[in-house]
Amino acid sequence: MIITAQKPLEEILNSLSPYNSILIAGCDGCTQPPRGLKEANILAQLLGLAGKQRGKSFKFKVITVPKQCDSFLAATSLKPEIEGIDAILSLGCGVGVQTITEVLPDLIVLPAQNALFIGGENREEDVLLERCAACGDCLLEYTGGICPIARCAKHLLNGPCGGSQDGKCEVSPDRPCAWQQIIERLSKMGRLDKLEEIKPPRNWNLNLAQRKSQG
Amino acid sequence: MSSISQEVALHLNEEYCSSCSICASLCPFEAIKKDPQTGKTTLEIEKCQVCGICYSACPAQALSIGYYDADSLFRYLERARKEYDSDRLLIMCKGVAPDFKLAGELLGISKFIPLSVPCVGRLPEDLFLRTLTKLEVKKIYLLVCEEDFCRFEKGSRITGRKIRALNLLLEQFGYGEEVISLKRYTPKVKADRDKCIKCGNCVFYCPYESAKLVGSEAAKFNLDSCRGCGLCIALCPAMALELENWEGEFISASISRLASQIKEPKILIFRCQWAAFPPLDGEFSENVGIIDLPCAGRVDTLHILEALGKGIKGILIAACPEDECKLKRGSKEARRSVEALKERLGQIGLGERLHFCSVAPRYPQSFNQELERFKVEIERSQG
Repeated sequence: MIITAQKPLEEILNSLSPYNSILIAGCDGCTQPPRGLKEANILAQLLGLAGKQRGKSFKFKVITVPKQCDSFLAATSLKPEIEGIDAILSLGCGVGVQTITEVLPDLIVLPAQNALFIGGENREEDVLLERCAACGDCLLEYTGGICPIARCAKHLLNGPCGGSQDGKCEVSPDRPCAWQQIIERLSKMGRLDKLEEIKPPRNWNLNLAQRKSQG
Repeated sequence: MSSISQEVALHLNEEYCSSCSICASLCPFEAIKKDPQTGKTTLEIEKCQVCGICYSACPAQALSIGYYDADSLFRYLERARKEYDSDRLLIMCKGVAPDFKLAGELLGISKFIPLSVPCVGRLPEDLFLRTLTKLEVKKIYLLVCEEDFCRFEKGSRITGRKIRALNLLLEQFGYGEEVISLKRYTPKVKADRDKCIKCGNCVFYCPYESAKLVGSEAAKFNLDSCRGCGLCIALCPAMALELENWEGEFISASISRLASQIKEPKILIFRCQWAAFPPLDGEFSENVGIIDLPCAGRVDTLHILEALGKGIKGILIAACPEDECKLKRGSKEARRSVEALKERLGQIGLGERLHFCSVAPRYPQSFNQELERFKVEIERSQG
């Protein structure tokens, strides 16, 4: 899922300041924490309160889109709602904002979130963690289900490096060394030989250019 | 603050106590114990939740209780008998519903004397007898929580037994059959499965494993285990859930009503109904409105914001201490949500308008003290 964080309210307010009638669009897709109907309503209330303090009275309309990143769903959900709307405030990730911009080219579309990474939610520890770098050439088979591209600070393919101390990465004492984890896991599963296989150099081009894939 | 000097809601009068230890055997919270060495009964007030089960069971009347004691209840009933001009009494546990609308519907009656109590376990037999004999009440209806879901564990079950015995007695004395009728009911979650986005919040947060997500289907709820804490409802990002009797619309309507009724600077309290019990005659303060919720877990970010939008200047959330939450994690999650909202309100300079506090009914003053402190802060911030 795409992990997002709400932009500071001040920043959102500044971006909304030229507009009066605003459609706040939640996204029921993969954004985490969920940014659906409730969050859209909460944001409308918060911005309404902040607007009042600044002597500005916004008119908000609140809806949610099943998936903002789907051009068809975005268009069919939003088009019936835009009469009299000056701007759309999207609670989706950057993909959502751009998809809406494409399907409604005459409207201003503004982001309410900063998309942070592709991650997972550890509910017990109440933390969201980056788990996938969308590198385009998944190597989890060889690394025991632990991604060094997303989880090693240097994105190394042949770690651990000299900065690995007592299972921690030198970048931060809170950060586990992904390669230590990989080797421990492979040893435990009796699969350490996976790392002895000779592989051709990795094609880093895969995640450099703007990527495209057939639907 | 030292708890020793504070006023407490339950007293054990050793002079009257015969150390029969009925109270100790009934206390759901092990607050009353019989000392094996001295044989004396001792009260550990720190564990007491003021359910009143001990109070209603003590044959020596050695226990006195600060809330809803039999004499205060009888005085209320004397007044209410005239005010409501009915010979039918409806006693409801607060856990069932916030008002009597549902009670009337469930029991098929419209005219009655209403009495809402924090657990029926506190009602002694003599209160029923006095009401029937002295106030010429002809019928008593009891609407109580389901036995296993009683917030005080044993209150509903003990009351059921008490009523069976009382009815037998009353029948012998010619009062007819089942003069006191008892119905059990616990509010549950209502899910609009078409709105579910399968995020899993309800599954993770439900303290009773009532919510399940299987395959690609919308979340399913097992109503047999749902205890109606409201936590999943407050945390559902799709607004797909409701709690019976405490529907979002009902709470919103209460917010609107109070926002227009109370005076400036307007203060609204969302209170867990087990954290502090309202006085029998209701609370009155010109600038304070209170909405009692089934658990702090039902405290909803959106309702807090709605209230601020309607001109409420300060919002106080009163919850039970985390380890005393009657519904496991309601208080803890409420604190988290309120803190997160406070941070967001802080971004627009309104963080001080929201305050979370934990109080327990064993200290009758603690809720008022928290409220007074908050009132002063809000009044000061309003200049």
